[in-house]
Amino acid sequence: MIFVTVGSMFPFDRLIAAMDQWAAGLGQSRGEVLAQIGAGSLEPCHMRWVRRLERAEFARTVAGADLVVAHAGMGSVITAGEYGKPIVLLPRRAAAGEHTNDHQIDTAGWLRRRPGIYVADAEQISAPASPRPWPAAPRARASGPRPRRISSPGCAVSPSADPPLAYRCDPG
Amino acid sequence: MKVMVACSAGGHWVQMRRILPAFDGMELVFVGVEPKLDGDLGAVRYYQVGNVTRKNPLAVPGILGRLVTVLWSERPDMVVTTGAAPGLLALVVGKVLCRSRTVWINSIANTEKLSLSGRMARPVSDAWLVQWEHLSRPEGPHFWGAVL
Repeated sequence: MIFVTVGSMFPFDRLIAAMDQWAAGLGQSRGEVLAQIGAGSLEPCHMRWVRRLERAEFARTVAGADLVVAHAGMGSVITAGEYGKPIVLLPRRAAAGEHTNDHQIDTAGWLRRRPGIYVADAEQISAPASPRPWPAAPRARASGPRPRRISSPGCAVSPSADPPLAYRCDPG
Repeated sequence: MKVMVACSAGGHWVQMRRILPAFDGMELVFVGVEPKLDGDLGAVRYYQVGNVTRKNPLAVPGILGRLVTVLWSERPDMVVTTGAAPGLLALVVGKVLCRSRTVWINSIANTEKLSLSGRMARPVSDAWLVQWEHLSRPEGPHFWGAVL
């Protein structure tokens, strides 16, 4: 299961739109994506979704996920880390009205070298050639390539690669 | 000693949870913006206040009024916050109304500079802290460690 979360403070429609577009290519695997959308104006068409989760529910959801995709908020980062879950971060931008300042960009810059944390600097999604089965969740590793974009499951996936990654992402 | 823990939700609260063991053996009361406190903290007193950010500054007077009521009732010896604005307001009320000792802990998410609330917390903080050593200064803010 992939858990998408925008955190507890502000909406983040850019993230939800990107993940909804990505989930559209999953076919019958759509139920494997759950999005917590906050007060966002975009209600997903291709993902299960809720607006908010209480802290205990949030923790249980992270614990049950194979991958977390989140804004670059410390609540999401710390909770994913406490449960050993890999996390993809899309930082909020103040210029887009997504936060009051750009500290999430700074946060992502600090975190991008940490094991199990992957920073998406943009939300472009490449369309899948065909849907694939879900990859196994990776084990945390001390080092590994840092993906810059989230690709679809149509890209090659190698759970046993060194280091194992849930998704191979475009290098560009 | 009675310690009031006051902070926003999300990352501010998650960081505060990691700091709570520092207050073992003390009486804790909580102030937050969520409808209820985490269930695993047991039967402790929790007060919900409204949330305030730069996006809704007109909420400040109402939240200040609520905090005055809460702190007048509890009279904590110490008020501790990891931010953001609701925590700053709790420090203000604690310092002015109760002469509480006050602790500001800037979020670890602020890696390059203090948050706005953090800068504003200086005159009302007995301990004015950051979680990045490169942000600390001899005159404050000080670095006493980090949650990660």
